[in-house]
Amino acid sequence: MSEDSSSSLSHFMAGLRASASLAIGYVPMAFSFGVVALQANLAPWQAMAISIIVFAGAAQFVLVSLLAAGTGGLTALTAVLLLNVRHVFYGPALAAQLTRKPGRWSPLLAFGLTDEAFATAMSEATRRKLPPVWCVGVGLGAYGSWVAGTALGVMLGAGLGGGDGVVGQALSFVLPALFIALLGQAFQRALWPVIGVSAMLTGLSLLWLPGHVAMIIGMISGALIRPWVGVNREARS
Amino acid sequence: MSFITLILLAGAGTFLMRFVPLVTGSGLSQRPSRLTLMLSALGLTAITALIVLSLYGLWQPQQPVGSTLRLVAGSVSVLVALRISGHVGVATLVGAVVYGLTGLTVG
Repeated sequence: MSEDSSSSLSHFMAGLRASASLAIGYVPMAFSFGVVALQANLAPWQAMAISIIVFAGAAQFVLVSLLAAGTGGLTALTAVLLLNVRHVFYGPALAAQLTRKPGRWSPLLAFGLTDEAFATAMSEATRRKLPPVWCVGVGLGAYGSWVAGTALGVMLGAGLGGGDGVVGQALSFVLPALFIALLGQAFQRALWPVIGVSAMLTGLSLLWLPGHVAMIIGMISGALIRPWVGVNREARS
Repeated sequence: MSFITLILLAGAGTFLMRFVPLVTGSGLSQRPSRLTLMLSALGLTAITALIVLSLYGLWQPQQPVGSTLRLVAGSVSVLVALRISGHVGVATLVGAVVYGLTGLTVG
């Protein structure tokens, strides 16, 4: 094995290990998706096909609920794509944190670039530049846990899917908890205005707009003030 | 539109929205600028927006005090567990357990 491929393998394995904390959030969510899909009268193979081919958490729940409501295919497709439009911001942001251009890894890296994989990568990027193949490891680890979680939901979910018990309620907090932990890990004191503006505008937008639109507004508004935040401190250092 | 066609189109569209900007935006890493600073902040702002979005989805207007207390308890326990353990996965699990258990007492 050449030095280059051996190094790629070790970066890939490090990415897979980093995806373990992400899997803790993904498996319960994917489990819920499997249960919800069956409750929406989809066949098990259809639930699995959505997770294997689309691989986009929230958009999958929306897709299933629209199908269950008898919405037409074109409307459901439009809703899924609109919900995922925020992903167009992730690629350039991640590319700016890579050690080199992703090249041949681009398709695999892009396939795994979900909200949570992006958040995990950007949290790590506050400490170091990222090898592209590390990000591929994170994305594929996330994909594996998502598909496995859906399979568990499809196989076991009918009997365990009740949402009001302690387990169901704990599962509902897994994703917020994962995001809070990722923010806690990536937090830099100098950037609190960026975080504050983002949180405030997301919250305000939620009062009048759908969640995926509010998220885009919060993301962009916080990022827009970044060049003017922490400038003096950086200049001094 | 058949189910399989719908899923294939949804998968292809989602993939292209991730792939095209990644490839076309790759050159930005070589050009430090105001734009690069903004892009680097998108990670933090995306996580922040996702937190607000997911907590908002769990807040129950019919039980404003109880659900707020539970969300605060869950969130604080995540940060405390992260401080103590330094591990994102452990902190996530602790937060979920605390949130689930507080449902027995608070709301």
